Amino acid sequence: MLLLKKSSIWIAFLIALVTLPQLFDSILAVSILNQMTIAIVFALSYNMLLGQGGMLSFGHAVYFGLGGFLSVHALLLIEYETMVFSILWIPLIGGLFGLLAGLFIGSFSTHKAGTVFAMISLGIGELIAASSLIFSSFFGGEAGISGDRTFGPLFFGIDFAQNLEIYYLAAFWVFLATLFMYLFTQTPAGRMANAVRDNPERAEFIGYSARRVRFISFCAAGMFAGIAGGLFALNYEFITEENLNAATSGRVLLMAYIGGLGYFIGPIIGAVVLTLMNSLLSNYSELWMLYLGIMFLLTVMFLPRGFAGFIMMHQVAWVRGNMKMLIKPYTLTGVPAALFALCTIALIEMSHTEEEVFHFLGLELNTASSATWIITTVIAAAAFYAVRKSLHQLSEAWDTANAIPKEERA
Amino acid sequence: MSILSLKDVQKNFGETEIIRGLSLDVAAGEKHAIIGPNGAGKSTLFHLISGRYKVSSGSIKFKQEEIQNKPPYEIARLGLARSFQVTNIFPRMNVFENIRCALFWSKGYRYSFWHLLGRQSELNDEAMHVLEQIGLKDKALYPSGELGYAQQRALELGIAIASGAELIMLDEPVAGMSHSEAQSSVELIRKITEGKTLIMVEHDMNIVFDVADRISVLVYGEIIATDKPENIRANLKVQEAYLGEVITSA
Ligand SMILES: Nc1ncnc2c1ncn2[C@@H]1O[C@H](COP(=O)(O)OP(=O)(O)OP(=O)(O)O)[C@@H](O)[C@H]1O
Ligand SMILES: [Mg+2]
Repeated sequence: MLLLKKSSIWIAFLIALVTLPQLFDSILAVSILNQMTIAIVFALSYNMLLGQGGMLSFGHAVYFGLGGFLSVHALLLIEYETMVFSILWIPLIGGLFGLLAGLFIGSFSTHKAGTVFAMISLGIGELIAASSLIFSSFFGGEAGISGDRTFGPLFFGIDFAQNLEIYYLAAFWVFLATLFMYLFTQTPAGRMANAVRDNPERAEFIGYSARRVRFISFCAAGMFAGIAGGLFALNYEFITEENLNAATSGRVLLMAYIGGLGYFIGPIIGAVVLTLMNSLLSNYSELWMLYLGIMFLLTVMFLPRGFAGFIMMHQVAWVRGNMKMLIKPYTLTGVPAALFALCTIALIEMSHTEEEVFHFLGLELNTASSATWIITTVIAAAAFYAVRKSLHQLSEAWDTANAIPKEERA
Repeated sequence: MSILSLKDVQKNFGETEIIRGLSLDVAAGEKHAIIGPNGAGKSTLFHLISGRYKVSSGSIKFKQEEIQNKPPYEIARLGLARSFQVTNIFPRMNVFENIRCALFWSKGYRYSFWHLLGRQSELNDEAMHVLEQIGLKDKALYPSGELGYAQQRALELGIAIASGAELIMLDEPVAGMSHSEAQSSVELIRKITEGKTLIMVEHDMNIVFDVADRISVLVYGEIIATDKPENIRANLKVQEAYLGEVITSA
């Protein structure tokens, strides 16, 4: 029964991977889907460190980037016919070099978790990013290096020139990588990673070297990040220093955190949400990074277990069939909260824009008139007040929906 | 044949000498209790044997092998398992996982990332069996960090006994339990350590006299007596140092 439920989730994931580009088949949509699948593997690999192993890394992009660089070099080797193999295998090259980098760096960085590990990861990240600008014959300096994915032998007549073709190639690897990362959590090494995260000292008294356990997770995380880097190289056919620097490391931390570190599916949710925000919001607003920052803050403050944690919070109410009790209170709080958010965004955007008229949700807001400002502020304040007022009924409804019925109490 | 043998073990923290030239032999199969006043160094002694602390000088042999410079995990692999006075579990993992992790090494899984745990039915059954013994079977899927105190103590004990190590060291395993909980834990300890060696720190004299074959009295970092329970009871020096307080205050 449980097995059935689990395999049905995997089948659903597979179906989603296969059908999404059919449902959303514009050039933009396929490109977003490509980014999303890469981000999923990258964020899941990050969670092997932080969520499952308790290692806070500020330099995980190193393995993504190195995997990506080696993959572009592999494309170049194919292009110049130094070697002949299908580009299908490129992600494995990325993974191999991510693994090698993990083996080397992990050999000294996994000695301790906590601050020591975090600082080493930061240092290594800076070091590799700086070196990548210095050794420009390999890294290509600021411009990075680029290749061409269409030179390899055809794969059943496909030359992978189209984004959609590369999407399906990526989807294949994404599915495999996700499956293997999940299976890793179901092995002794995966479980001991949790144990060492929880209590490294006790782990040593049941026979495990905390360092070795961390090292194994670290290498695996490096390998899967490298696979993601390889997928990136195939998708964009170029890679630069930006893909292994601190900004990229920070972004993957955000994805995993916002999605929820405590759940396997958390980083997937985070990767999807952040990729969507990145590609859609950035079309509408220059300030999307600001919104991302605000969202991160709100998540840390109010949803410490991330989106996945928020969804899982409803398990009890769901099992008890009490979800409908929550619809009304959620609406009563959610509508003014959304209104407040929109008004705040309008105010921020109006302060930022240099145009006289600001177009927002079909409205034409005159930024020069003080009336626009006053009205927006008043609506925002009223919405905020309504949210505050409604919180009480929400928390009451929450308690009722989660209450243990009398007959079940021991 | 002694399974554990300490010679002139000394431990300083900075200037302070906590364990002062201590020698002790524990025979294979023996149930050995260590008693002594608060701050005598009983837990420190446990930490020295199990590798949490390094000795300042002296030697510790477990099964004829010098272990005083080994890390805890190597000592554990030789067949020494222990519990802690202050509960020391894996709080975010559920109760079942806590016990199963304690079984991995002795079942030969090592650092395997190719065994799927769902398929290891023998391992899983054994973990469930331990849960049954410590009375936590119905809490198997409960996050261990959210258990009540007594149940966490039971889990602490479970992690120590799960692997079936040859030498089991328990640091105040039943402290803070109710009388009946303590009683059933003692029964369990007795059953689980049958044919094995047990070293136990315990303040409750009834339990000590009930379980132990021999008792060592540790006072200010020195063992002032090691003997059979009836002789310890008779030993005046001991009464003065330790039992006196307990008996008069009880
Ligand atoms: N890490 C340490 N650093 C400095 N002093 C320590 C350390 N650990 C223990 N001590 C000191 O060593 C002495 C013995 O402590 P220990 O915990 O071994 O006593 P105990 O016999 O287990 O006492 P109790 O019955 O209260 O558990 C105490 O005075 C304690 O303060
Ligand atoms: Mg103690």
